[in-house]
Amino acid sequence: MMWRDVGVTLILSLILPVVAQGARHTPPGKPKLTSCRSPDKETFTCWWEAGSDGGRPTTYSLFYHKENSETVYECPDYHTAGANSCFFNKNETSIWVNYNITVVATNALGNNFSDPVDVDVVYIVQPHTPENVTVGVLEDEDGPFLRVSWEPPRKADTRSGWITLIYELRVKLEEAEEWEEHRAGQQKMFNIFSLHSGGVYMVQVRCKPDHGFWSEWSTASYVKVPDYIPRERSMWILIAVFSAFIFLILTWIITLNRSSVKHCLLPPVPGPKIKGFDQQLLKKGKPEEVFNSLVVQSFPPRSTDYEDLLVEYLEVYVNEKQELMPEGKDLRDVGCLKSKSQSDNDSGRGSCDSHTLLMEKCGGVESKDESSYEEPELLQGQAGSWERLERGDSQVVDTPDSSDARVKTWPLVFSPSIHGSSDNHHYGTLEMPKQHSTSEITYSVPDHLFPTSTSFPHHHHPEYRDSLGEYSEYRHSRSPSTGVLYHWEAQHHPQAHSNFNIRNLERQKEATGLGLPPSRSMEYVEVQKVNQENQLVLKPLSSHGRGPSQVQFGRAVVDYSKVNGVNNDNVLLLQRQREMAEAGQYCDYREKEGAEAERYPTQQQGKTTKDGPVATQLQESTCLTTSGYVDTVPTMPTF
Amino acid sequence: MARRSQGTKLHLAVLCLVVSCHAIGLSDLMERASQRSDQLPHSLVHADSHFPPMGRVMMPRPSMCHTSSLQTPKDKEQALRVSENELISLARSLLLAWNDPLLLLSSEAPTLPHPSNGDISSKIRELQDYSKSLGDGLDILVNKMGPSSQYISSIPFKGGDLGNDKTSRLINFHFLMSCFRRDSHKIDSFLKVLRCRATKMRPETC
Repeated sequence: MMWRDVGVTLILSLILPVVAQGARHTPPGKPKLTSCRSPDKETFTCWWEAGSDGGRPTTYSLFYHKENSETVYECPDYHTAGANSCFFNKNETSIWVNYNITVVATNALGNNFSDPVDVDVVYIVQPHTPENVTVGVLEDEDGPFLRVSWEPPRKADTRSGWITLIYELRVKLEEAEEWEEHRAGQQKMFNIFSLHSGGVYMVQVRCKPDHGFWSEWSTASYVKVPDYIPRERSMWILIAVFSAFIFLILTWIITLNRSSVKHCLLPPVPGPKIKGFDQQLLKKGKPEEVFNSLVVQSFPPRSTDYEDLLVEYLEVYVNEKQELMPEGKDLRDVGCLKSKSQSDNDSGRGSCDSHTLLMEKCGGVESKDESSYEEPELLQGQAGSWERLERGDSQVVDTPDSSDARVKTWPLVFSPSIHGSSDNHHYGTLEMPKQHSTSEITYSVPDHLFPTSTSFPHHHHPEYRDSLGEYSEYRHSRSPSTGVLYHWEAQHHPQAHSNFNIRNLERQKEATGLGLPPSRSMEYVEVQKVNQENQLVLKPLSSHGRGPSQVQFGRAVVDYSKVNGVNNDNVLLLQRQREMAEAGQYCDYREKEGAEAERYPTQQQGKTTKDGPVATQLQESTCLTTSGYVDTVPTMPTF
Repeated sequence: MARRSQGTKLHLAVLCLVVSCHAIGLSDLMERASQRSDQLPHSLVHADSHFPPMGRVMMPRPSMCHTSSLQTPKDKEQALRVSENELISLARSLLLAWNDPLLLLSSEAPTLPHPSNGDISSKIRELQDYSKSLGDGLDILVNKMGPSSQYISSIPFKGGDLGNDKTSRLINFHFLMSCFRRDSHKIDSFLKVLRCRATKMRPETC
């Protein structure tokens, strides 16, 4: 018995707490108003959430009172809006009035009040979503586009103006992630352009009162855009075709003018022009033959000749005291030895071309006798490379020289300081100063090269005096390594002449000049080299084919004679020098090529008298030297 | 800027009226007026956002707004029953009633013990401009509408200042702002109802 009591007590004591715990009740927890919303500014709904219910069934009730009265009302409708809600219908809703709302939770043990909330309906308007959202595809000249249309939510009274709604819609491709939003204002329709052809679009619309909250998005409407070629793309296709067409035309034109285009873009490099180099021979023949033709006995100069080969500069002065004829004005210009650089067939002359060099010693070219002067284009470089030996004295020249006398300045650098030294220097003693530096291409014809007798210690000197003037202008550059060959065109113009005093920079004894009888023909005199006496070894180039030494250049046989000087009779005294001649030795021109001595007469017609002196002079110097070639490039600066 | 341009447009409208041109119709004027009035509450909301929610206990009750004496429709049915003349009259009265309080607010705003009183004062000035331009527009409107619409109720404002201590100043300032916010809503609603009534030809604008 007692054991039973104990057992029951134990059991009860075990069970009772459990039972008691389950049966513990508390007043409900505090509810909370979550939100109140009005869809149409005429009614509104408030929602709350419940607190803990305290273990007992709990009821909730909502009480409110309006701002200017103390009367408390209870919620008229707990069901319309769902659980835990209170719906205020039109009759109970006042605008521009503050509602003070409180929710009370009640259970058997007690109740609990929520915090009061002030609500003015006009501030809590949130309409429903727009209705009847329709999306259609319409065609336009630019392509298809979407037209979206909708209606305001049913409950919102926009017709009377009580609510003013503004709309917003968003669009995206079905597979896209980002929405594209558009404000539509108060209109109920919207167009969307620039669609992807063949895509499926989703459209949603929502609305908002002028002062309120946005509604929810409407349910998505799907629309498929038909396939079409976008207008832009077709335009691009057109542009591409057009450009391809133009490109083809341009290519065709360029192909037609291939050569000229090529010439324009890739200017041809001028080929080497080596005198005596026969390109045809190269093409056809063997290389050995071609190169053999280039071989010149005197080239490359042997070391013993180097001294002789040093070319000094000549200063060519024009007698300033002598006035020029009216035509002489040209001489002045010419005196500056401005020669227009002319391009001839020879290439590679550019290095010696220098305006400045020539201009340095621009002196007046004066001619001695005005009357008899007739200034042809002295120094006007035609081919520019030739100087003209002119006959100043008409007396000397019997036969009027017809052709244009041209003094062509030599291509080699030459700064002829032409100045008239005195009266009667018209000779061309071409004695080159030895020491003239040749580092640059300056050259000067030494003063004494010319006219004064002093400058001509040579016994030939007096012969020069009366010569009217053969003016030789020449230029040369000192080229230690190569001999200088001057092509000298001796053209005597009977009437025109200018005084060019060609002087050596250093007074040289030799003023051996070679009187050149006036001749009308163009004679080429080639300066072979400069000997130690600073004498130009000239060799007349005979166009007639005479020539003591046939220079095997593949061109016309040329004779070279050294001009010792110009005597008074305006005779070029040519000298011949043996190849191996040492200083002072002169080869007898006549000896070598006796016929050549005759040539001079031929060159100067009618001046047989000169042959004598010529010949005699020639006796002195006999050697014919073939020295290096001076490239008479008429690239002398133009005067 | 839009408001300024609208003000300019309204002034142009006045000029037009002076030279007897009826280029600007009533509906256009209404449209512009309502657009202008629309801006008031927005601006007020911005201004009001600066204030933290205050304890309801301390806050004066909105029924203590000085314009509460003016009888205005309380719901939609009432509002829709109000005549146009009365609507415009109410709008103008309310607008007029806030001229003085705005002056007070603008003078008190710079010295308000609030961290963003600069913003608040600029907002107050903005509100003054809006009110002024709206008032001018409504004056033009009533000239068009007829003499019976020109009645205005006078609502005096008796609040001298906002108070002496810092807390009461803040509270009173906030209270005035909230009153004005509501009244601006009223003005806006009245004008929009009026607009819809006036533009029967274009119902899509409503």
